[in-house]
Amino acid sequence: MISSFLLHMQPAKVNRHSLRASYSFGLGLISLYLFLILCVTGVLLMFYYVPSTSQAYDRMKDLQFVVSAGLVVRNMHRWSAHLMVATVMLHMCRVFYTGAYKAPREFNWVLGVGLFLTTLGLSFTGYLLPWDQLAFWAITVGTNIAGYAPFVGTKLKYLMLGGNTVGQEALTRFYALHVIVLPAIAGLMVAVHVWRVRKDGGLSRPGESSDSVQSIPLGELPTNKSYGLMELARGTTPQVGQDPDDEVFSWPHLIFRELLLFLIVVAFVLFLAVFWNAPLEELANPIHPPNPAKAPWYFLGLQELVSYSAFWGGVVVPALIVMALIVLPYMDRGRHGVGVWFARERRVANTIFSVCVAAAVVLTVVGTMFRGPNWGWVVPWRAPPPTMEGH
Amino acid sequence: MDKRELQKFYGWFSTLCILVGALTALGYYRDEYRPWKDYQRRFNNEEIRRASTPEQRLIASRVPIQIRQILLPELNRVDRCTTCHLAVEDPSYGGYPQPLAYHPLHDEHPFDKFGCTICHRGQGRATTAEDAHGNVAHWGEPMLPLKYIEASCGQCHEASDNPAAPLLSRGAELFETVGCRGCHKLGGVGGVVGPELDRVGTRRSPDWLRAHFLEPAAVTPGSGMPPQKFSEPDVQAMVLFMLSQTGTDLPSFYASMKVIPSAAQGRRLFQQKGCIGCHSMGGQGGKIGPALDDVSLRRKPEWIIQHFRDPQSVSPGTVMPRFGFTEAEAHALTDFLLHQGDKKMLMGIPALMSPVDRGSEVFRKYGCAGCHGQEGKGGVPNPNAKTAEQVPGLIHVADGYTKPELKTFILNGQHEIVPLDPSRPPPPLYMPAWGSTIKDAEIDDLVAYLFSLKPKDEKTDF
Repeated sequence: MISSFLLHMQPAKVNRHSLRASYSFGLGLISLYLFLILCVTGVLLMFYYVPSTSQAYDRMKDLQFVVSAGLVVRNMHRWSAHLMVATVMLHMCRVFYTGAYKAPREFNWVLGVGLFLTTLGLSFTGYLLPWDQLAFWAITVGTNIAGYAPFVGTKLKYLMLGGNTVGQEALTRFYALHVIVLPAIAGLMVAVHVWRVRKDGGLSRPGESSDSVQSIPLGELPTNKSYGLMELARGTTPQVGQDPDDEVFSWPHLIFRELLLFLIVVAFVLFLAVFWNAPLEELANPIHPPNPAKAPWYFLGLQELVSYSAFWGGVVVPALIVMALIVLPYMDRGRHGVGVWFARERRVANTIFSVCVAAAVVLTVVGTMFRGPNWGWVVPWRAPPPTMEGH
Repeated sequence: MDKRELQKFYGWFSTLCILVGALTALGYYRDEYRPWKDYQRRFNNEEIRRASTPEQRLIASRVPIQIRQILLPELNRVDRCTTCHLAVEDPSYGGYPQPLAYHPLHDEHPFDKFGCTICHRGQGRATTAEDAHGNVAHWGEPMLPLKYIEASCGQCHEASDNPAAPLLSRGAELFETVGCRGCHKLGGVGGVVGPELDRVGTRRSPDWLRAHFLEPAAVTPGSGMPPQKFSEPDVQAMVLFMLSQTGTDLPSFYASMKVIPSAAQGRRLFQQKGCIGCHSMGGQGGKIGPALDDVSLRRKPEWIIQHFRDPQSVSPGTVMPRFGFTEAEAHALTDFLLHQGDKKMLMGIPALMSPVDRGSEVFRKYGCAGCHGQEGKGGVPNPNAKTAEQVPGLIHVADGYTKPELKTFILNGQHEIVPLDPSRPPPPLYMPAWGSTIKDAEIDDLVAYLFSLKPKDEKTDF
């Protein structure tokens, strides 16, 4: 029964190429597993959490000191969240470098961009909930960046925070978004995203783009296959065009591997959670900003840009990035280089993308490690600890 | 999947299952093993050992191992200290090593009403020694070293004239006499040259404060605060008084304990509440109520206390309103009335003093001595000031100003101090504008006092 459920989500047979770990690194699946871990630990945390400025922080302390396994569960949730942002980003890089966003997978790429933004939204809204200094000031900085948008910026910020500053209203909103709205959106999009992977013919692989789409007249369905009509899909599907030797049954080849990957992810998250505690700073204090106040790490590249120009860094660059990502598969219509890492035919696209990624990495690293008080330049190994207040 | 592949898979599968299982077990162990459980077992064993009857032994052996906590919703605290410190209320544990030692002297501060951290600080919700004692990252309130514990008295109780906290009282007295308020605001009164001190006790550690008094520039580079020449006990007293400034908003029960029933605090109340408006002492004051000079001879202490609680109950028909004094305040005022024969007590009631004496009080109240020296004698360094790199003394102020000029100068201040060498940093100390702080009557008294500073036998040269 389990296997039939799993086989309804996945084709009965998959291409051998899709199983190669060095092709996909399982990044999409890892993201999905992390999302599941986040859902489970998140529900456990909800049993104890109270979204109130006067209680939230105390509840964090109680999780740490008196709730059985409270600390481990919170650690798992925190580390999974960071990991998920990272794996989603890496997953996008993988899809780009293998040209996997090309037809017929354009729409799934767009869904992926939506999932990426939802993931950032989930992480960002969750960031506020512990109501410590880290949370308060990261959200203050993050929403300030949103406030730089022209015309709608201040309204947008007001809408997010339910006021002009981070307070009880903001906490209530972020909580509702974090535990209901965004997980529901993410869940639905994940479902469609995963379904489309199958609908679009499984993982991209070399050679498939050169196949012409073969339409199979309904009356001529092969009879030697054990699967039915739902296997018929637009474009290239596992059963079309390839030597049958390239295909293996999903059970056990695919599903065993998925199970192993799940265990690896759980083990890794547990390992982090048992040995490293999630950060919890002092109680949020609106009159004592840490210097520097930093956004969550995935926004530090933006914050670094904002330090040069609020308008360019806070508005133009992120808007351009999102728009470029969305239109990418519709602009880049070349059919070559799909299913291969760093394909020669895609030199130009890969170079442009790599420069953007490198810039993002450099900006993020600079924002994370090389910025000290007043966003001044510091060398990390000689950095003074952040000060809590001036004299 | 051939057999070899399947075996490989099972190998991986079992390894990973063992790994996940081991990590879960480790997580469980780390969660389950808590040092406080050892302390509770040790305490229970001690109780069992002490039990003299089988029944007692049975009761002792049935004490569960569990978190103990004192819930203090009014103070917004949860103190779990007693999870480890199990014997704080049992005198028979006097002299036991921590964490099982008895806590002496808590009769007036019962644990269920006060908990622990309101005095000792630390992290009440924590259940490991390190976290609870608060010397950990991201906890702003580590436990107060015992030698500074008096500072905590000042959170609820008046610091000055507090016989139970002599060092704290000394600190409060020094704060007013040395002239700290000349530059620093506390409770809304004081200058603006230095930072406000209302919450300094939560911002700064004892060590920082100590270093700051002895050599301000050493801990705050560029600080213009002159180093203070305190004796060792006085530094300690000042540190204590600063630590007591936590700015904690206390709920009514705790706030009502502010006044300590003592004559000195009674005098302060007598002054604050304006009693002299209706009553007189030494021939000065209002005539509406009776003179109070000999009240201790006319009335018994019980009568006086009752009179403060409810005037009508002992003097039916009296016009004296019911002020709603707390019990402590009524006692303090009574103490004051009974001790008013003491000349020192009478000083400090402005209505009974000469303008020059009152001015001297104003000089003290606003901390003028902090910069201009005790009795205006000067000598406080102000690097790079044209006036011999010092804040000028005030002894000869009568020679340079008329009274209205001096008043205007004090009210407006002088923000720019003429530098000796314009290329060096400007002098750090300056005269703040006192216009918004000082009261009209006070400025007249202050000027009278400043004019009186001029040595009597000196002639004016110009």
